[in-house]
Amino acid sequence: MSFLEVFRSEAKRIFTDIALILTIIGGVILYSFFYPQPYANEVVSSLHVSIVDLDKSDVSRRIIFELDASPKIVVTRQDLSEKAAKDALVSGEIKGIIVIPKDFKRDTLLQAQPTIAIGADASYFLIFGSVVQGAVQAILTESAKVKITSLLKNAQPISAATKAYTPFSLHVSTLFNPQESYVQYVVPAVFILILQQTLLMGLGILGGGINEQRPQGYQKMPTWMLMLSRVLIFGSIYLLHTLFYFGFSFELFHITHLANPFELLTFALPFVLATTFLGIAFGALLPYREMATPIVLFGSLPLVFSAGFVWPLEAMPDFIILLALFFPSTPAIEGFLQLNQMGSPFGEVMHHFGLLYLQVIFYGLLAYYLVSKKKKLL
Amino acid sequence: MGFFRSFSKAFFDELGTIKSSTYLFGLLTWIPLLVYVLIVLIFHQGLLREMPIAVVDNDRSELSRRVSFMLDASSSLHVSHKTQTLLEASSLLRQSKVYGIIVIPPHFERNIYLKSQPKIEVMLNSQYILIGKSLNAAISTSLQTLAAQIDVVKNLAHTERFESAISSAIPIGLQVTPFFNTSQSYFPFLVSAIIPAIWQVFIVIAAIASIGMVFKRKEEEKLFEDGNITATLLGKSFPYTVAFLLQGVLFLLYMYVYLPFGFEGSFAVTIFAMLLSVIAYQGIGLFLFVVGFDYARALSLGAVYTAPAFAFLGITFPRSDMPSFAQFWNDMLPIAHYMKIQIAQANYGASVIDMLPILLSIALFFLVWPLVIFRFKKRLERV
Repeated sequence: MSFLEVFRSEAKRIFTDIALILTIIGGVILYSFFYPQPYANEVVSSLHVSIVDLDKSDVSRRIIFELDASPKIVVTRQDLSEKAAKDALVSGEIKGIIVIPKDFKRDTLLQAQPTIAIGADASYFLIFGSVVQGAVQAILTESAKVKITSLLKNAQPISAATKAYTPFSLHVSTLFNPQESYVQYVVPAVFILILQQTLLMGLGILGGGINEQRPQGYQKMPTWMLMLSRVLIFGSIYLLHTLFYFGFSFELFHITHLANPFELLTFALPFVLATTFLGIAFGALLPYREMATPIVLFGSLPLVFSAGFVWPLEAMPDFIILLALFFPSTPAIEGFLQLNQMGSPFGEVMHHFGLLYLQVIFYGLLAYYLVSKKKKLL
Repeated sequence: MGFFRSFSKAFFDELGTIKSSTYLFGLLTWIPLLVYVLIVLIFHQGLLREMPIAVVDNDRSELSRRVSFMLDASSSLHVSHKTQTLLEASSLLRQSKVYGIIVIPPHFERNIYLKSQPKIEVMLNSQYILIGKSLNAAISTSLQTLAAQIDVVKNLAHTERFESAISSAIPIGLQVTPFFNTSQSYFPFLVSAIIPAIWQVFIVIAAIASIGMVFKRKEEEKLFEDGNITATLLGKSFPYTVAFLLQGVLFLLYMYVYLPFGFEGSFAVTIFAMLLSVIAYQGIGLFLFVVGFDYARALSLGAVYTAPAFAFLGITFPRSDMPSFAQFWNDMLPIAHYMKIQIAQANYGASVIDMLPILLSIALFFLVWPLVIFRFKKRLERV
């Protein structure tokens, strides 16, 4: 049997299967628009808080003004008691409460270090972080002013007083994603996972279908020809998908893309190859086609969370890290994030690149073995 | 045949099918459990500890070494690298070998004594927002403590009273109280939302698998032979309802009874919301199947519907900041409504009355059931 005949029969099998095409083309394109939707506004905007001002002095009013001026916080309520504010928090009207204690002004003047309490809804952890961050900044600004005033009272010149309010200053800059955009945080990594998962589903549907239908003449097709046909068909579709995701979609959702297309494709090649071979091996193991989608689906969330971009590898058990290294998405997510989001030179991703090629060899051999074995059983 | 007899026949037949099918049995038992356990293990540590950071010390004084020491003393931080240049450190940052860089300027110590307020530069990798936020808090706290210590020492030179030396170092104190998730651990925050998001995937997939297999084997006429379509569908679905409700209850017991994450409200309401969600999702699973009566295609649709649910839940990114399409999609997911109840009950201890509108919005999804039954009737008439 010639390669062209095998290729033609595989192409026909693939392109006439609606569920398969729906997954590897329809699904991939649909997800590219659908998945980034929750994060399309990019950042958590201002959060509503309530102030319980038990002091009602000019100093406490200054703090409220300062809080309201902070970009992360809007003061929407003023409550007379902590209890009333907490009720508003439970009903979801506000996300945080700031309590200025009684005699606040007097205590600052007496240097008795009064304490402002910040309470926030930690059920939504990242919201909690924003409220606290905004409030702390506003209060520190006010705290600095109080200090300068007291230094001025001790007859220090204003320039010295401003400088001495803290012995050294801290300047925090956020690199690679300065606006803390959620699209930028989640979407690049999840896109890689979508590419891997849909490709595995597609090849699983194909392989499982073959095992179940036992098509005529399939046994006589040489394994290498079958594998090469699938690599050519799925590989070229997925390299195009990669360009579409990292080019068009990133542009559409304003995601940074620092890597040049040539580097991206160089890195994408072993990722697509390794995933294709893994998918061929996976498909050879499935007794019927409908098992492919569920199995891949169940693995999705564990794979997202063990990839290290949400939850750091340093905080995970070793065997989970090891297990995750068997999936192309793990080195691919790290490598693509470095190249595209952080602007690493290619040299810095060589170990991820190398691991992907190791997977290509490992899954290539595994797929060859499983497909050959399965063919004899059909 | 009466409704109850059709129901119980379908129920017991389905139990037999589940027992004889390793796949269906797995879908109801060990496969979801395995996935839940993996998630629990990933987040088990809950807190970020000893996160690597790099220090670029351009001063090499006693005080600059104190800076490193203070940072290292924080339980969240670990100074894993001390590099000569910023260039080296930023390469480590890009490779995720460190998550933050602290640059101490030359003449840091001298400038502090000269009161010219030197500036420490902190650079954080905000590509990883969760990690970046935690490090920001930990680094700021450590360094502000150090600043206060230096200040107290300086103030003590002028005043005898220690308390007043402290308070003039930090004129306003700050006390941060997290309401509702007092442990400050990421574990309850993430795991309590991820597991329900996985749970709904299994409910939909199992519903599609159970009916899909019948059609695949062309046994649908046999299934509905007694003509009572409603009773048969409900009876066939019932074993799954029980199994997934049990999983949900086990999850609640694990999170809020076995683990010390307090549960303020009513378990009964939460479990009732779970029951409604299971029935809603079973209906949705069947609905996706009757769209084309094609098993494989229904699974693809089920994947598209259930897989991105976690992103749309509004837990990691608030619903109010989503664009209107995403808010609409959030409404279209029973699990998003269920999560509101779980949070309101577990954390706020909200009253049962307040839950009624949310329970009702889950129950609204029951409207797919009549549609499903209608489609089956049409389909069987044609055969």
